[in-house]
Amino acid sequence: MTSETPPLQPIKPAYHLNILGDEQLTQLTTGTLRILDEIGVHCPSEKVLRIYAEHGARVDFENQIVQIPPDIVKEVISHAPRFYTMGARSPAHDIVLDGTALYCTTDGCGIETIDFTTRVRRASTKDDVSRMARVVDYLPSIGFFWPIVSAQDFPETAPLHEIEAAFNNTVKHIQSETVTGEITARYAVEMARVIAGDEINLRARPPLSLLACCIAPLAQDKESMESALVFAEAGLPVGFMSMVNTGSTAPATLAGTVVTGDAEVVSAMVLIQMAFPGTAIFHSLMPGIMHPRTGAYLGTAWEGTLFYAIGSELAHFWGVPTLAGLFGTDAQAPGWQSAGDPASSLLLVALTGAETGSGLGLLESCMLLYPEAVILDSDIYHRVRIEVNGLDTNPEELALDVIKEVGPRGHFLKHRHTRDNIRRRVFSDLTAQPTPSGGIGDPIEIAQEKVNWIMENHWPHPPEAEQQVELARILKAADKEIGGRQ
Amino acid sequence: MVIQQPVLEPIHSPYRFRYLSDEQLTQLQEATLEILETVGVRFPSEKALAILSGHGANVDKEKQIVKFPRDLVQKSLKTMPRYFTMGAREITFDLHLKDGVTYFTTDGCGVETVDLETGNRRPSCKADVAMMAHVADYLSSMAFYWPMVSAQDYGRTAPLHEMDASWNNTIKHIQSETIMGEIPARYAVEMGTVIAGSREELRRRPNFSLVVCTIAPLSQDKDGIEGGLVMAEAGIPVGFLAMPTLGTTAPATLAGALAMGDAEVISAAVLFQLAYPGCPIFHSMMHAWADPRTGAYISYPLDGRARHTLIETAHHWGMPALGGCFGTDSRNVGTWQSAVEAATDLLIAVLVRPEIVTGIGLSETYTLLYPEQIILDNDIYHRVRHALMQLDINEETLALDTIRAVGPGGQFLSQKHTRQHMPTSLVRAITHELDENNKYRDPLEVARLRLRWILENYHPEPLEQAKQQELNRILAAADKELS
Repeated sequence: MTSETPPLQPIKPAYHLNILGDEQLTQLTTGTLRILDEIGVHCPSEKVLRIYAEHGARVDFENQIVQIPPDIVKEVISHAPRFYTMGARSPAHDIVLDGTALYCTTDGCGIETIDFTTRVRRASTKDDVSRMARVVDYLPSIGFFWPIVSAQDFPETAPLHEIEAAFNNTVKHIQSETVTGEITARYAVEMARVIAGDEINLRARPPLSLLACCIAPLAQDKESMESALVFAEAGLPVGFMSMVNTGSTAPATLAGTVVTGDAEVVSAMVLIQMAFPGTAIFHSLMPGIMHPRTGAYLGTAWEGTLFYAIGSELAHFWGVPTLAGLFGTDAQAPGWQSAGDPASSLLLVALTGAETGSGLGLLESCMLLYPEAVILDSDIYHRVRIEVNGLDTNPEELALDVIKEVGPRGHFLKHRHTRDNIRRRVFSDLTAQPTPSGGIGDPIEIAQEKVNWIMENHWPHPPEAEQQVELARILKAADKEIGGRQ
Repeated sequence: MVIQQPVLEPIHSPYRFRYLSDEQLTQLQEATLEILETVGVRFPSEKALAILSGHGANVDKEKQIVKFPRDLVQKSLKTMPRYFTMGAREITFDLHLKDGVTYFTTDGCGVETVDLETGNRRPSCKADVAMMAHVADYLSSMAFYWPMVSAQDYGRTAPLHEMDASWNNTIKHIQSETIMGEIPARYAVEMGTVIAGSREELRRRPNFSLVVCTIAPLSQDKDGIEGGLVMAEAGIPVGFLAMPTLGTTAPATLAGALAMGDAEVISAAVLFQLAYPGCPIFHSMMHAWADPRTGAYISYPLDGRARHTLIETAHHWGMPALGGCFGTDSRNVGTWQSAVEAATDLLIAVLVRPEIVTGIGLSETYTLLYPEQIILDNDIYHRVRHALMQLDINEETLALDTIRAVGPGGQFLSQKHTRQHMPTSLVRAITHELDENNKYRDPLEVARLRLRWILENYHPEPLEQAKQQELNRILAAADKELS
């Protein structure tokens, strides 16, 4: 028996906030343009270097450095669409990026899982991706799905197995963060084509997109860039994320970190527009701050909150949607820290008009899956979603007649207006939950129960049988060509 | 080694977030005026009724209900000061309320404490108030101090003993939420005069203030109002806090609850301006929700919208606002719930730019003190403070020369620029403290260690001995008269 997937509940802010002043935005983007023009970006791919050279960039083929004059950056990037649709297996769950709503995804790509049954920490598997795709399919907070952990039981073709597990277990849009290399990318596109049904649908409502990471400072990854070109050629959205780290792979100042990361992302976006003008692209800036004693990347330092909102505003300056870095706590288990880390950045980013954001559900800086974390993070998501909705002040809501009837020292409990409206108030289903013994349940335990309930009871509509067979056939061919489990 | 007291670090918001549109502000204000004019508010105080009646309000003495013609409301509120000073024992810690700066205080007034030494839960006492004043004196996030728990070992004079414990342990401004009735209020003013040195100085730089709770729906508390009038006469700032609960003591719709709570606050504001024109007053509202299943009081549902709407309403009336943050419904310290409830709430509150905000450090909906919670809440406070700091963009911070020197694929660790800026680049949260194995420590454990460190190593500037003796004398007289 299959279950219906609930409608998405994106965050639709009634308000907008500008974090950067116009002058600051100019200072930052001028910094980015100067870096691209005067310093350049390292790119170890002959194919990519040729594309840059053919479109007017200065390319040092020997050192694999590309410098791009500001005029070319501005002209080329102007071809990118500001808004587009990220399709889903079910049209009702298509994500229309139009500047009015923020859609969030799960986090990715973790490498360890707290086992669903034994609660023992172990390496992640394809089955984890399948199970979490089903959980995500049920949650209205999750607009699209990043395969949340790595399918490490399929070492060479893990990214493709993650996509298969995702397509088979959720009707929502899938965004891969692990497909790298031209060959793997071609298999991924073939899988997307099977889900889309035909070429027109694939381009109009692409069910799959790709996020490629840059290498800080100021470098591109050969495999990532070549896979991005394959996706772009097929009309699938591609985004680029910089994870510059203040003090180690970026200057130890916030502004310096921002421009270094922005230059990496813009250089990649420029490449895609040079190769395939008009392709859907997105910008993602996710810097960390280096821990001075350990060198670790800290995504949630006190000052870090500002980075993600600024990333959103920079994306909009360049005329493309953003993927904002959200959640991804440094905490080692669900608790005070995992709640305190993400809350303010989500609110701030939502107010800047971000279109998409990652990533609910992982701990230990995006590495460790606790199955219940996505439920806990969803609670935070909904708090922010409702908070930015604004207040309704119509006569029914103002209820002056009711106040008059009740009067000073009266009571509203028995009034019909109360009975009608108290049901419309939204309470958390994790906090303030009475237990049979008269106490209050622990939100984390309740989240565990909820995730178990979803896994037992929610069975999304699968792809059609022929599509499943086709996906399996593609995987088999990929396993044979690339390696992995036969 | 003498540990210096850190300077205050209030939250400066460079952004102005408008939660309500102009039209909605007008709608809410009109609703308040209509409630005041047609429904009225109960004032069970002969003194208050006489003042209101003498200034043209429609008073039903039998029912003690006062209806306010809108002209009277609008005219009387014209004398309210938009900003004022909340003085401190030390002038450098005076708080000059102004636009764009938000000062925070602790929560109050809890009734139980989880003992720091034994871990046992017990009724709160004066020593707890003193201990937490000591901690608040050290924390840069704490601009003023609400006695956090009740000095229950002193029965009816507990509120005065809370003031004594506070003044003896912090040089910051004190705001009482428990002084009720004319007689305790007169003793409190006397104590404040001792600290200030004179009545004139007390009026110029009032070293304490008072929050008076209204009673929902649409009623005032006799002792609260009469205590407040004594304070106002002496120039002590007085605020009015409405706490309507949606579904029981307020309509089950947000706008209705807001309008009703606002009417309670404004009715008190009118009384005070009629009695003492120009006296410093402030506005506050912390609405809650009734759990439809249990009737329990919930301050943080999933839909916590409009918790800070009344800050804008207060400003629209022309008065400062006391916002309410923290005060989690969580029963334990350091839980997921205690962080999730505070974190988003705080950011949205300060974006609306209240002048003052309570209340860091209590659990179980403002009733239970875990001493270490103030350190955890302090961390959330500083996260938000930093989130609202504007990015510093200049030649030095853009670091293009350093980026050029490092180039693609290099590393910044060995750069002079990195060495210069790294010490200030990572502002370490409580979550990024390392243990001896370079593993992150449990934030709750770090909070407990920091709390103990403050208590053992930091010594607040003691109150002059003569003033201590004077306070003791006043307390002895109050104990004799009231107990």
